[in-house]
Amino acid sequence: MERSRGGLGRFAFVGPTLVLLIAFNLFPLLYNVVLSFTNAELVGDGWKWIGGRNYERVFTDARFGAAVRRTAWFVFCAVGLELGIGFATALALQAFTRVRAVLVTALLIPMMLSPAVMGLFWNLILNGNHGITNQTLDALSLPQPQWLTDREWKLFSVILIDVWMWTPFLMLISMAGLAAIPKTLYEAAEVDRASRWTVFRRVTLPLVAPYLGLAVLLRFTDALKQFDLVMATQGPNDTSTQTLSTLLYQVTFRDGKVGLGSAYACVILVLVIALATVFTRYLETIQRRTA
Amino acid sequence: MSLLSSVALAAALALPHAEAAPQKGGSLTIWWFQWAPADGLQELGKEFEKETGIAVKVQQIPLASYQDKVFLEFGASKTQFDILIGDSQWIGRGASKGLYVDLTDWLKTVTNLETIHPRAARYLCEYPEGSGKWFAAPAETDAVGIAYRKDWFEDAAEKAAFQKKFGRELTVPKTWDEFKQVAQFFQRPDQKRFGCAMPTSRAYDGLTMGFQNVLWSFGGAWRDEKSFKVKGFLDTPATAQAVEFFRELIALGPKGSGNLDYGEVLEAFSNGSTAILVNYFAFFPGIQAKFGDKVGFAVLPAGKAGRVAALGGQGMSISTRVPKEQQELAKKFIAWFLQKKVQEQWITKPAGFTANTEILRSEEFRKKAPYNGPFVDSIETMRDFWNVPVFNELLAVTQRYLGMAVDGEMPVMEALSKLAEEKEQILREAGLLE
Amino acid sequence: MKILQGAVVVLYALFALLPLLWLGITSIKDRDAAISPHAKVIPVLTAPNDPTSVGFVPQLDAFRGLSEVHAGAHASFWEHVTSSVVIGFVSTAASVLLGAACAYGFSRYRIGGAKDWLFFILSTRFMPPLAVVIPVLLMYRKLELPGTHLGLIILYTVFNLSLSVWLMKGFIDEIPKAFEEAAFVDGYTRFDAFWRIIVPQSATGMAVTGVFCLISAWNEYGFAMTLNSSSAVTVPAYFAGLQGNIEGMPWPQVAAGALVFVAPVAVLTFLVRKHLLRGVTFGTIKQ
Repeated sequence: MERSRGGLGRFAFVGPTLVLLIAFNLFPLLYNVVLSFTNAELVGDGWKWIGGRNYERVFTDARFGAAVRRTAWFVFCAVGLELGIGFATALALQAFTRVRAVLVTALLIPMMLSPAVMGLFWNLILNGNHGITNQTLDALSLPQPQWLTDREWKLFSVILIDVWMWTPFLMLISMAGLAAIPKTLYEAAEVDRASRWTVFRRVTLPLVAPYLGLAVLLRFTDALKQFDLVMATQGPNDTSTQTLSTLLYQVTFRDGKVGLGSAYACVILVLVIALATVFTRYLETIQRRTA
Repeated sequence: MSLLSSVALAAALALPHAEAAPQKGGSLTIWWFQWAPADGLQELGKEFEKETGIAVKVQQIPLASYQDKVFLEFGASKTQFDILIGDSQWIGRGASKGLYVDLTDWLKTVTNLETIHPRAARYLCEYPEGSGKWFAAPAETDAVGIAYRKDWFEDAAEKAAFQKKFGRELTVPKTWDEFKQVAQFFQRPDQKRFGCAMPTSRAYDGLTMGFQNVLWSFGGAWRDEKSFKVKGFLDTPATAQAVEFFRELIALGPKGSGNLDYGEVLEAFSNGSTAILVNYFAFFPGIQAKFGDKVGFAVLPAGKAGRVAALGGQGMSISTRVPKEQQELAKKFIAWFLQKKVQEQWITKPAGFTANTEILRSEEFRKKAPYNGPFVDSIETMRDFWNVPVFNELLAVTQRYLGMAVDGEMPVMEALSKLAEEKEQILREAGLLE
Repeated sequence: MKILQGAVVVLYALFALLPLLWLGITSIKDRDAAISPHAKVIPVLTAPNDPTSVGFVPQLDAFRGLSEVHAGAHASFWEHVTSSVVIGFVSTAASVLLGAACAYGFSRYRIGGAKDWLFFILSTRFMPPLAVVIPVLLMYRKLELPGTHLGLIILYTVFNLSLSVWLMKGFIDEIPKAFEEAAFVDGYTRFDAFWRIIVPQSATGMAVTGVFCLISAWNEYGFAMTLNSSSAVTVPAYFAGLQGNIEGMPWPQVAAGALVFVAPVAVLTFLVRKHLLRGVTFGTIKQ
């Protein structure tokens, strides 16, 4: 039987999902645009049209530019470290085939945890005074950074927690990529007496690359939304850690400026949608290459 | 179909809300943040229920998220709380946005307003300050004071060492200079002993509240009290000096003292590592219970502009977003709570502090607990932060610039003048400044 | 080479697992031991006399405390777990069923612009919750949905649809069409075929998809804190609310609660370990 055309039937299967997604994604987006031209507040009803004033504020707000740069830096560092450590661990794990299965399952736990809950607990681990990290450093007579209070370290601590949570993700996908490389290629390389480094560069890396690309892409879009960990460690108003999402929270929910918050949201959404479009297309290419 | 059935299931699960069984006399919900005084209020509520048959439930919400939750509630058509015990700074927003019931005419029919301490009335209950328009009744009247390790201060060896080092007796500091000296003396990181702990958190208002303790006594200010002008009042040498001094104090605390929230300040003292704690009186009964006679309490030290205590505490307001009948029940409770005999009970509850002048003036109250005397002495000098409707934005910029100044990210004077600039901008947009 | 590899594995394992170990240790302490200026690391049977000792006496009070309506909350920890369970499981069931139906539609029907639709579905996953939550909140206020289980159930269902559709499409594509074709000959309709053939045939796929939907609903925080701030509060929002607790954090309870909350997710992860990769890559990598 050929793939059926079935008009109504088709809609019955696909329809509910699409309707829900449109109602809860597209509609809010449009509503957001409308709100961004008003002076709506979180408390109290009446709105007034105020034209593009909110957008003027967004683009003249030093906080916004700083948050964009900080979020970009956060994403770059966090995903970069996760990629490096995750891939290195996956390579290292190749030597331990027997214990690997058990070990990997244990190592994956951090990424299954709630960032809001674990972020909170990291406050105790990194506490400058009675946290175990600094107490250990103290016992070893090593310098003790003020992880959560020194402005040079605050953002790094958020990155550190993110790396703790998400390196397993990169590791898992790296392992899949490594496992997918046909053994025959390595055997052929051995016959050619190629050096380890050459094999790595010529065989391993190019074949794993699409997997790493996919992993980085998925992490990237997630890291861009960073909210939970910053809220759990520094709150929404800290000048050293304010990301785009927490800035949005501060403006909308603390200051109660819904109209202004919507303008921020629209600008952020344009950025995200642009990136997401690029990425979903890229995903397609990767999908073909890993299939 | 799958959608329908799951939604129906969900609805069935969602409907039975965690609502208490209807009480004969009705029931009241009070929201407060989570701390010992709220436990005390719940105990009092039980008494009220015995007398009137109206059940009282005090819901406690952690401070960091309290404000967010409260104002999210106010956005709904009906709030879950009948009575809100709101931070003193919110009163402008509550009053001018029509969220708090105006109590002006009613309150004087149930209590003698003269018995409410004028400073408490001004900062906790009235909006605008001193206007005689009441939007709250005092619930917890609180101020900042200090708790210190009496056992360390009275230790003979420590006393001798201090005398030798500074040429004067080791005493509870009366001035900020003495305070710094004592903190320096006890700052011994290698022994895990530290000088002082003060709120400095960036997440909400900690840093600002901690800094105020120094600010006013140094002769600095947030603004002109009458005109709301900020420039020329905030960006002054006196304020800058206060910031510099505050930075020095931060260095005399446990590691990481530059960003401690109220709870962490308390942890630093209660784990026995810190000599002096700067915090609200409401915490002191708990400290007293834990340390017994190893601790003492005192008023904040004085600066060159005298002694000023930063206000803490909250008023009780009635939500306009509940039915009239609930508002009437709420009024009943507030009237009951303000009676002298109930206030006398209130001060026996964990960390209950009153604004009732008759009680405050009595010798009996002073003698009842070691922190009561300093409390009475503090209340006379209380002052507060902004409480205009846009206070939150003012707070957010204050936290940011003050943070940068304290962290050394921006020169103090530059931070202050930028802060003054932004504050005036916010006030102008809100129509509070020409 | 093997030594180097061993060193990398050991170092990383320490980094990944020590915080979890510390979670466990903290959960059996009392509060004073948890915030002691001298590290308390080793459980011992009798209380050490020296305050600087690394020993502490283990106890289970923190776990018992979870059923109390602890200061800092208006409901006990278990009530929040109940909210998380109700919201997590109902939304997961809805996501999986809707997602399976949608995936089936895309798998078996010719739909104009199917690829674009699928990418639209995926792109909804990239939205920062904070950027769409304002209109959702205003919409919900009109429907009186904030603070209800239903509100979050709908939102999580929708949020997980992208994952569900993509994963289920992979699983359903793998089911030979011959099964259904035989059934059509017996007079089955498409719906019959879906219910009686696809659903049972893709049971594993649905279970895997369900686990991943559940994990993301279980751990979600942005929507939870803004929409359900005072009732039907899920565990992540409850925990986050404890931050800045004015009387200090009840650390042992936090640790105990975190362990309890993590346990089901850890078990589920273990159960679907063979399909993990597929789950975390939206079905892009099939192994």
